[in-house]
Amino acid sequence: MSEIFTTLAVFWLCAFVFYVLVHRGLWIFSDVARTMGMFMLEKALGPGIDLVEGRTGSAARAWIMQSALWLMIGGLFTFEGMWLAHEPTALHSLSAWGYDPTADTLAATGKAATAFGGITMALVGCGLHILPNLLGTSLASERNGALVSFLYSGGVFVTLVGSHDPLILGVKVMVVGTGIHVLAMTAVVINQLLTVASRVGSIPMPAWLILLGLMAESFNLIAGISTGAINDGDGQWLMYRLQGSGFFFLSLAGVVLYASSVASGNALWSRTLVGATLLGGLFTLNPFGANHGTLVADLFGIDAGEMGMSSNDTVIVTFLMALASVPVIALSANTMLTMRGGNSSGANPSGAGLVEINFGVMAMIPVFIGSLFVQTDAVSGTDAISGLSWTIEEMSRWAVMVPLSLGSVLALYPSITGRQLASASRARTAFWLMSGAVLLGLMLNLTSSAIDMALLDAGVEDPSSLSHELAVAGSVIFYFAVVAMILHCLNMVSGLFRGDIIGEGTEVASSIEADTYNLASATTVSRILTSGAGMDTVVVPVGESDEKGSATDL
Amino acid sequence: MTNDDGFLQGENEPGASKVVLVGALVSALIFMVVYSILYPGQDYPVLSDFETFGSLTGGIWFFILGAVLGMFSIIATMITEATRE
Repeated sequence: MSEIFTTLAVFWLCAFVFYVLVHRGLWIFSDVARTMGMFMLEKALGPGIDLVEGRTGSAARAWIMQSALWLMIGGLFTFEGMWLAHEPTALHSLSAWGYDPTADTLAATGKAATAFGGITMALVGCGLHILPNLLGTSLASERNGALVSFLYSGGVFVTLVGSHDPLILGVKVMVVGTGIHVLAMTAVVINQLLTVASRVGSIPMPAWLILLGLMAESFNLIAGISTGAINDGDGQWLMYRLQGSGFFFLSLAGVVLYASSVASGNALWSRTLVGATLLGGLFTLNPFGANHGTLVADLFGIDAGEMGMSSNDTVIVTFLMALASVPVIALSANTMLTMRGGNSSGANPSGAGLVEINFGVMAMIPVFIGSLFVQTDAVSGTDAISGLSWTIEEMSRWAVMVPLSLGSVLALYPSITGRQLASASRARTAFWLMSGAVLLGLMLNLTSSAIDMALLDAGVEDPSSLSHELAVAGSVIFYFAVVAMILHCLNMVSGLFRGDIIGEGTEVASSIEADTYNLASATTVSRILTSGAGMDTVVVPVGESDEKGSATDL
Repeated sequence: MTNDDGFLQGENEPGASKVVLVGALVSALIFMVVYSILYPGQDYPVLSDFETFGSLTGGIWFFILGAVLGMFSIIATMITEATRE
């Protein structure tokens, strides 16, 4: 049996066992496990746990604030990587301080900061808020959740150092970063599992998405290590895909669906589509991301293997990647229709966070198609369009995952912090800057890469000036994403202190609020809503008569 | 000690003060550009004696300067908001 299929089978088996255990519990060991878990989360940490407060929402708040900071740093490193790709000596003057980065190291650092720092912390932070709310309980340990966020950020920092200099004093820095990452995520998993254990009802679908997304990282490690897939190029590529389909896609789907419903005030459009997203995320391979598994090898300090799949394996993975269109389209459609809520003009269309989510789900399908082409090209060994892979990979991060995770953070910000963002107009400005930077900047970069690739195929040795100019313009325009993230950070930090407090009549986006609406003649619901009425407005029918008037009886 | 001169300090900050600050920063940048026009090919005094600053070439530094200013503004916001009365 092929190694690819064996690894997938172990991954699916782990998911099935987990599903059964959540429903059946650990029999006589349930109470022991719960007590041990709580001990590990709080008392085992000694005085360290007293460093943070345990107020409701403090854990989620710590994670989302740090996620915004990491997204800004990730954007800056990605911009620098794009710049050095067309001007390799731009940062040469820093070599006087012993720092001489290349385009590749900066791009890798940007990738690590964005994916592990920004996106992951946003998803975990939102999950720490969403899961207890969906399960009708409170988070098992707010203090541990908040404390672990700083440990996790430390791990991301170590990974950034490692992506610049993998070996310091004979120590593989990336492996240390991975160790801290695993430790922090284990604490988050235990925290969330204990929260699930104290639920008061059944587990809703978005909660399953978040829960399985968190656990998918463990399933991936078990599958990759037990089958030995981690040691060769094909297995490393597969582990990268499983992390993308499992943790990133499932967590993102759960968080986005919840946030789109909460922020728009509409009910989730379809439970069936959520089910399709859940099963699709588990049983297919998402093509978003890099077209090789080098990152997995780097993170675990092992040699990166060459990809060389057999024809059978190629058929299996190509089929599973094509099948991933089902969960992608299901998530995209469900989110869009939930946000619109049957109102064709769009409900609350300018709310902070909703616009980013809207942008992300619209970009998801075209980027999926591009990623699918790049991945099938790589697994078949054709390598005809591998020159486009870096830009497509950045698109999957900055046009899909960042807007969706950041949008969810902004949409849930009032619920998590108890305050509104400091400025709605600043959030809107940041959105336009970011969407323009990501769409135009990366499209110009893609065009530049396509020109270079075409010239290489044609055997032209002279570099194209047009390609160079497009690359310059692309990197300059992408800089606005960094500016947008700075604005978002400022907005979120100021909002913590000066944002309007929720519950003081500030929840509604519109300043117009009508308590009653006098209905004199037949009209549409849309017209009533646009006149300033809300969901709680009382519609009062006013009687009228076409009879001729007469003197009033006294 | 009492202040008999009648010195007063308001609590609110006028919005126009930010305009003055931005204007001052832009002026500083213009003066730097004027220096390089008036004395082409000559390094900045003192600053250029440092190896790193002496070889700052390429437009990327303007962008990095902007990002560094942004980061400092975030840190400044955190400090001022946390210590605000």
